[in-house]
Amino acid sequence: MSLFWLKVAVLLYGIAALAVLPAALYDRPRWRHIAIPATIAALLFHFVSFAETLNAAHHRLPVDTHETLSLLGLILALAFLLVYWRYRTVSLGVFILPICFLLGLVPAFRPGQESTPFPQFHTGWIFLHIALLLAAYAALLFSLLASVLYLIQERSLKSKHNTPKASWLPPLETTDQIALKSLLFGLPCMTAGLLIGSLIAQQTIGPSYFLDPKVLLSFALWLAYVGMIFIRRHSGLRGRRAVYLSGFVFLVVLAVWAANQFSAVHRFAAP
Amino acid sequence: MSQTRHLVLLGINHTTAPIEVRERIAISSERLADATRTLLHQPGIREGLILSTCNRVEFLTLQENSGSNHGADLLRFLHEYFAVPPQTLLPHLYEFREREAIRHLFRVASSLDSMVVGEPQILGQVKESYTVAREVGAITGSLDALLQRAFTVAKKVRSETQIGSSSVSIASVAVNLALKIFGSLQGKTIMLVGAGKMSELAARHLIQHGASNILVANRTFSRAQSLAEKFNGPGVRTEAFSFDTLYAEAPRADIVITSTGAPQKIFGRSHGQHFLHQRRNRPMFFIDIAVPRDVDPGMNDVEGCFVYDIDDLQQVATANLADRSREAQAAETIVSREVEKYHERLQVRDAAPAIVALQQNAEAIREAELKRMQSKLATLSAEQLAAVESLTRSLTAKLLHPQMVALRQAARDPSNTETKE
Repeated sequence: MSLFWLKVAVLLYGIAALAVLPAALYDRPRWRHIAIPATIAALLFHFVSFAETLNAAHHRLPVDTHETLSLLGLILALAFLLVYWRYRTVSLGVFILPICFLLGLVPAFRPGQESTPFPQFHTGWIFLHIALLLAAYAALLFSLLASVLYLIQERSLKSKHNTPKASWLPPLETTDQIALKSLLFGLPCMTAGLLIGSLIAQQTIGPSYFLDPKVLLSFALWLAYVGMIFIRRHSGLRGRRAVYLSGFVFLVVLAVWAANQFSAVHRFAAP
Repeated sequence: MSQTRHLVLLGINHTTAPIEVRERIAISSERLADATRTLLHQPGIREGLILSTCNRVEFLTLQENSGSNHGADLLRFLHEYFAVPPQTLLPHLYEFREREAIRHLFRVASSLDSMVVGEPQILGQVKESYTVAREVGAITGSLDALLQRAFTVAKKVRSETQIGSSSVSIASVAVNLALKIFGSLQGKTIMLVGAGKMSELAARHLIQHGASNILVANRTFSRAQSLAEKFNGPGVRTEAFSFDTLYAEAPRADIVITSTGAPQKIFGRSHGQHFLHQRRNRPMFFIDIAVPRDVDPGMNDVEGCFVYDIDDLQQVATANLADRSREAQAAETIVSREVEKYHERLQVRDAAPAIVALQQNAEAIREAELKRMQSKLATLSAEQLAAVESLTRSLTAKLLHPQMVALRQAARDPSNTETKE
């Protein structure tokens, strides 16, 4: 049944992803009235599906890549709605909603089979560890996208060709606010997520967990994250350089994600 | 004798009459109620509305059937009320009737007939005239429905096309660009460097959109002070200073409007870099209205500085105007469709009295025939009588049906005037 709800959610994400195009690119409010309710409905079905999946498998954590991707999609959709509610802009949906659709599509049609052999991991803490880190990644993605939109809008305004192609973009100050506030939201999530993960690893694996490549990269990511916020807040970094910085930190995120392949800790084996 | 009502619209606008003529029959809002009342008292006029703006004066009337020339009646009213000889007005007047009057009204309300196509004020002005006309009892039935329809069509045009979405004046382009940079102008600071009508107008537009701090710089402090006083108002803080402190004060401004007569540039690229550094890279928008220019165009290359000179603003306005013209074509299609729908509805409504008369006549014949046969039907039981009643009603309805359908169809046919008569 959970897969059925996920399929419904994916369908709704698809509708929202299509409807957001005329809503954002051509400023058609009618399409916005389809995109936003479709996203809300998709989010609800996605949440029901996710909760049912975790309950049905008798574990409280998304154990495989598919479930993790699904959770990331859920967080991204929620973040998009929060940004819409706060800034009344659907422009980010042009990128975020198709990502939500794709992140839900794979688990909906090819559900994962992996399971964790360690019952001690079946706690709310490990779920919190994963959810908080995914929220931090989502915040970083939002910040990167907002910085890119800022750059496009800035270029458009500087070129003085006020074409309709660029008129769909939010004002510079709005994208700047989204970029900075996303980072400010992501930092405590990442800090708390890493702390929880460290404590769990310390208890179950011992101090050797710190040598795990993913763990090392995660702490490097945290430092990069803090550095980026510091630079943005203190020098008011915007435009091209902000995109480069966000892009760099996002590459570190991808490296952290890819490090799963080499991480014994995150494959539930002793390092 | 049946009375047929005719919709007649008479008027002048910016395309048909120069301002010297328009101003002679322009009606201020204070006099509008009186003028509408006087119009209503003209012979044959059942309902009426006067629309008077700086670009047009129009008289929309619903006139009762008579042998007279409806346009001439209105012309006489203009002559009497405004004391303007008919020969002065005649060359500039246009007159629309029935369907064309509906089309014109829909186009006016939708801002398709405006000097600046798509400007939003006209709908408000039509609504204002409508309110006054209703208050004085000049709109009671058919015109009410027509005007309500005109408002709906205007809203439809606005929501289904982009006709009003882009700015077409220099000042509104400047505001639009500022909104693209800052999102909201609430609490933003504007600096006026030099004095000029256009820079003043741009500043006023920005204040209307929420900018609340005005810094005025001029070569002479007293001139700066007198200009700053002009912007004093609720929620607006003004400050004046001379050019001596210009570069020290400039980083406080989010938007700088320059319009000095200086032969050299006042702000160079290095100034832009310095200001941005002082502002911790918060964007700055330079609106350079001066000729020769006050701001070095190279400053636009500084990240966070946006420099628009008068030609840039004009270019955006022209491009937006072209966009509006494209959207106007889509809007015209909507208006045409709505005119057809409304006209068809009117014609069907016109056929209603004939249909009712036909039904009443048939019912009278049926009742008369039943009465005539009353003695022969006396032996029937109540049930049998009810069956006869039902049978005759059904027969009458079936016999009348083709005629009624034909009447409705004929009413929809615009070329068929005989049926209506």
